[in-house]
Amino acid sequence: MRALHPTLAVFALMASVPLLAPNAYYLHLATVVLVFAVALLGLDIIVGQVGEISLGHFGLFAIGAYTAGLLSVDAGAPLAVALVAAGAFSAGFGAVLAFPALRTHGPYFAMVTLAFASIVQVVLNEWTGLTQGARGLAVPKPQLLGATLDATGFYLVVFVVFALVWILVGNLAASRYGRSFQALQGSAIALESLGVSATASKILAFCLSAAVTGVAGGLYAFSEEYITPQAFNFDLTVVFLLALIVGGRANRWGALVGAVVAVWLPNLLGDIAAFRVMAVAAVVLILGATARSVALGARGWAAWIPAAVAVVVAVAAFQLETMTEQRLSVFGLLLLGAIAYLPEGLVGTLAAAWRPEPASAPGAPPDQGVAAGAGSVDGATISFRGVTVRFGGLKAISDVSTRIETASVHGLIGPNGAGKSTFVNTLTGLYAPSAGDIRIGDISITGASPARIARLGVARTFQNIQLFGHMSVIENVLVGLHLAYRSNLIDALVRSRRYRCEERENRERAQALLAFVGLAGAANRDARSLPYGQQRLLEIARALATEPKVLLLDEPAAGLLPSDIDALVAILRRVRAGGRTLLLIEHHIDMVMALCDRITVLDFGEKIAEGRPDEVTSDPKVVEAYLGATQAAA
Amino acid sequence: MKTMRVLALGAAVMCAATPALPPSARAQETVRIGLTGPFTGGSAPLGVSIRDGVRLATDAINAQGGLGGRKIELIERDDESKPERGIQIAQELTTKDGVVGVVGIANTPVALAASRLYQEAKTPIIIPVATGSQVSRQFTPPAHAENYVFRIGAFDTIQSAMMAEEMVKRRKITKVAILADSTNYGQLGKDDLVAALAKLGVTPVLVEKFNVRDVDMTPQLLKARAAGAQGIFGYALGPDLAQIANSMAKIGWKVPYITSWNASMSNYIDNAGVNGEGVYMPQTFIQDTGVSPRWAAFIAAYQKAFGVERLPNPSSAAQSYDALLLLTAAVAQAGPNPNGAQVKAALEDLKTPVKGVIATYDRPFSAEDHEATVPEHVVFGTVKAGRVVFVDEADRARVGK
Amino acid sequence: MLDLLPQVLVSGISLGTIYGLIAFGYQLTYVTSRTVNFGQGEALAVGALVGLSLTPVLGYWAMLPVVIVFGGLYGFVVERIAVRPTLDSPSEGWILATIAFGIVAKNVSENIWGKEDLPFPSPLPPQPIEIGGAFVMPTELLIVGGALLLMVAIEVFNRFTLLGRAFAATADEREAAGLMGIDTGKVISGSFALSCATAACAGVLVAPVTLTGPGMGLVLALKGFSAAILGGLTSGLGAVAGGLLIGLAEALTAFYISTGYKEVPGLLILLAALTLKPEGLFGHVLAKKV
Repeated sequence: MRALHPTLAVFALMASVPLLAPNAYYLHLATVVLVFAVALLGLDIIVGQVGEISLGHFGLFAIGAYTAGLLSVDAGAPLAVALVAAGAFSAGFGAVLAFPALRTHGPYFAMVTLAFASIVQVVLNEWTGLTQGARGLAVPKPQLLGATLDATGFYLVVFVVFALVWILVGNLAASRYGRSFQALQGSAIALESLGVSATASKILAFCLSAAVTGVAGGLYAFSEEYITPQAFNFDLTVVFLLALIVGGRANRWGALVGAVVAVWLPNLLGDIAAFRVMAVAAVVLILGATARSVALGARGWAAWIPAAVAVVVAVAAFQLETMTEQRLSVFGLLLLGAIAYLPEGLVGTLAAAWRPEPASAPGAPPDQGVAAGAGSVDGATISFRGVTVRFGGLKAISDVSTRIETASVHGLIGPNGAGKSTFVNTLTGLYAPSAGDIRIGDISITGASPARIARLGVARTFQNIQLFGHMSVIENVLVGLHLAYRSNLIDALVRSRRYRCEERENRERAQALLAFVGLAGAANRDARSLPYGQQRLLEIARALATEPKVLLLDEPAAGLLPSDIDALVAILRRVRAGGRTLLLIEHHIDMVMALCDRITVLDFGEKIAEGRPDEVTSDPKVVEAYLGATQAAA
Repeated sequence: MKTMRVLALGAAVMCAATPALPPSARAQETVRIGLTGPFTGGSAPLGVSIRDGVRLATDAINAQGGLGGRKIELIERDDESKPERGIQIAQELTTKDGVVGVVGIANTPVALAASRLYQEAKTPIIIPVATGSQVSRQFTPPAHAENYVFRIGAFDTIQSAMMAEEMVKRRKITKVAILADSTNYGQLGKDDLVAALAKLGVTPVLVEKFNVRDVDMTPQLLKARAAGAQGIFGYALGPDLAQIANSMAKIGWKVPYITSWNASMSNYIDNAGVNGEGVYMPQTFIQDTGVSPRWAAFIAAYQKAFGVERLPNPSSAAQSYDALLLLTAAVAQAGPNPNGAQVKAALEDLKTPVKGVIATYDRPFSAEDHEATVPEHVVFGTVKAGRVVFVDEADRARVGK
Repeated sequence: MLDLLPQVLVSGISLGTIYGLIAFGYQLTYVTSRTVNFGQGEALAVGALVGLSLTPVLGYWAMLPVVIVFGGLYGFVVERIAVRPTLDSPSEGWILATIAFGIVAKNVSENIWGKEDLPFPSPLPPQPIEIGGAFVMPTELLIVGGALLLMVAIEVFNRFTLLGRAFAATADEREAAGLMGIDTGKVISGSFALSCATAACAGVLVAPVTLTGPGMGLVLALKGFSAAILGGLTSGLGAVAGGLLIGLAEALTAFYISTGYKEVPGLLILLAALTLKPEGLFGHVLAKKV
């Protein structure tokens, strides 16, 4: 429990702010800091975990503020009721917002959220019968247990809410739900291929993020005691985002530090005397850091830019009598500097500087025993009947029928552009066939979603590796185990006994799967830091975590060294020994010959041959397809 | 878990450092007065004119030796027209900086949000520009024991009554349309205007709104014309009032145009150009050196201090100037090192008349009445050849006395 | 009320063209770098202010090319300072860096030109002319004409010049373009220069009707951004169509439904469009190979 001490110390310090604050000004600032911190913890679910930039959280914040404000004005609702309602109402809107936002990314996502929030602002301003519109809403002092709270009491309430949200958000991020949010950021397609609905995950993330932000909005209504629709505008969203980026995304400490900066900075920049002190401190710190990095070998004038800028700012601070007119420039420059030099935020950068480099992954030999992931499973047959896939006028696959027997290794080969990847992507639901029927066992999966097909027992790896690169190796496998949990969201949020048991068991299973593919020693590294060949093995381990009946391997040997290929073959043999059906798409003919029971050959989207390896290789059509392709390429 | 330790340390240092920031240590040698307003952002022209007026008055007093030998020290804070900044600044000025009184705030939402903090801290504030009628009445007796919020300036009730009378009684136009901006300012003003018209038995044929910085007002004006309006009221800031005038010219519609006081600002006059001529708006101060020596002296001092020929916003500069005079008169009357409550009491009971720019204030405030400006202080101005002039010679002669 | 429809349509088209022109600027940088300048409004304002200062010296028409060159330099600086260092950062750092750059630009121009809105002299007479029952200001015709001319010029540039084709190649596949010997860094720089030049030019064009000041661009830039997204960031045609859609929705709502809610239908169209077509009305799907 030693690791908890600093956290506890900071929280104890926060709890004692009413005793330490010399006057109401600081107490109020501290209150606003914590309110913002709660809002940022909510925003971080979208920005840090799902990995999209939301410009619309000011709308959710406003919904929370007005829900709480109106309930206490019109219904005299006590604080607790108002806050719960604020969170619930905002969560509802979050769910609505999730739909247009579902398939959008980057600037499109930003615009969807911004459009939503702009509509909220207009409605709050116009619906005067409900909100009193532009006149604003005077919110009475909060009531708790029948008593009116004073500033200290309210601060303590905010602190308790903050602490609760801190714990819940932390539990969420560490749970399978948090992992599914983070996986969205890496690859939504891969997440779906593991049987987890990207849609459901995104909607859940939105609801939770909106709920937390809504609660923060509710607190804000009481801390300001007067709200107007215009107070919730684009500026506020910019402040939220900048705070989160400067503090550090995907980290609770980042939200707290960001809130301190966001609330404190405007006050600091308004007070020239205080700013001078800070400017000098910054010069000393930055000069020190620069000198250290130069001593460690940094060269070139670029290393001195931050220090030079800091000196200029400090000199200017002593030249000016007031900095009202320059304040925003200083603010903008600070942000530019923070974004350029601290891309992971203050907290992320500090943490990275302190954390030792993870040990390099030992090339541990694969666990020779039949591990959990490769345990016996009944495979399933796959049948294609007259399947055609069209893109515009182009037939990528044309009237293909084939049958892949259970517990066999089936090869799919063909020259480039033959339709192999289309075959796999159609089987896994990424493309819908234009005609024909695909069945797993007796169940038709024509037109089913990738997540549903995955839940029916089809797992896959990807030709272009689709790992969740910023997550650790073991977390990648744990995402594959998402459906192995029986505990629900509430269990995860409060870390119930049932949840902790399952989490422990699943970590053991994940570890066993990693051992199975020889990655046991790399469990805690970032997936993206693995060498290429190990990334392919990790995809296999992750796919096996879903306990599939059928495993599709899309060019698993592409880009591997010969020694890696041997290891791969050995692993695949043991997978097959467990009873699974394997579909192997591969260019390495040796490997196909060594592993496959039957082979299907595609060319220009049509099946030109099928049979045992020896039958296929002697088929003149196959020879012609390959030689023709080779000659054309030459 | 070293990360956590570093962070904890950092956070602790930050928390510890905040209260330790050095407050300026010259507490007792000067009289500290807070000055706040939107010095940056969309309302900056208003905030800057407050600052100009207050600084001008402060310099004048300090040049004559200050208040009882003590110089006035202004603590200036930019509220960016944000209510939440207004609240923080109110607490900073009253509890951290220990000012005896405050002059400032240009935006009604900021005033409504921040007032309770001045009230709780028992520090008087004189609001020179925010015109929402509610601003000075949030804490009036008998519902509240004391009220620390004072105001100088033509607030919405005065303005809207004048505007309505001019249109309905003098010009005999009863089919009128109101165009107001969608902010708190425009909407509160609109409400007062509708009420003032109702007193005269007139219901506007159309009430429309627009957003600040909207480019095109033609849809609203076309609707007004289609509804049969024969006169237009504008309740908004200068640039938007100018856009209304420009859009009227665009659709070739010329009807009487009466606006809130902001049409006297240079950002109206310059941006509306010829289209803006002839507009009527209530004013407390007009740049006319011939009115009285006191007006001439203020105009000359302003021009010299800020290097401009035309005052960008004469009414609010003059109101802010007078606000500081009233506040310092109260500080002087309240005795040595007064606290906020004593200054407030003195404000409500000013023994000697204060000679301001706009008027000589003889007992401007009482416990019940916190408005220094009375209807007699307000006149109609109009734009003529790019300058604001008196509409009525009689007004000009009257206010000069 | 239907007899006033032509006038309302004129309003909507004139607004829509302004939005479309600004949207065009977003589209230019997005295709080469998958980023946009969130400080586009400030680029527009700075362009207009520079134009305002130059007009008395050079006259209106000679000022235009200077402003375009200035806008190009501005865009170059934006790319260098705010975009390049953050292009590959994990947190879409460019969104915030370009916002921060805009904050600085706005503050600096406030200190140079003041905070007041200033009038911008129009080269054309201020008397409206009547076209088909609607009044139009000559300046509005200049905006529409100038915007169309500018967009056509950029399309011609993109299709028929070497640099323009490099843009297109980078747009299709950045890595491949790099392998073919195109300096994609320079192309991205160039696209930002072109984008900000468009914005600066737009600033000068719209300044006579919007008033000129450091804050003039914020609302326009946001509307332009929604136009670009609605039309699809990968399509020049989409930018124009998105602008017109939003401009017309705004004017028609303001006149026939409610001025208070006038922005809502445009935003609802946007949300509906993106729900059905996440890449915008005219956007291409950027196929991702798996």
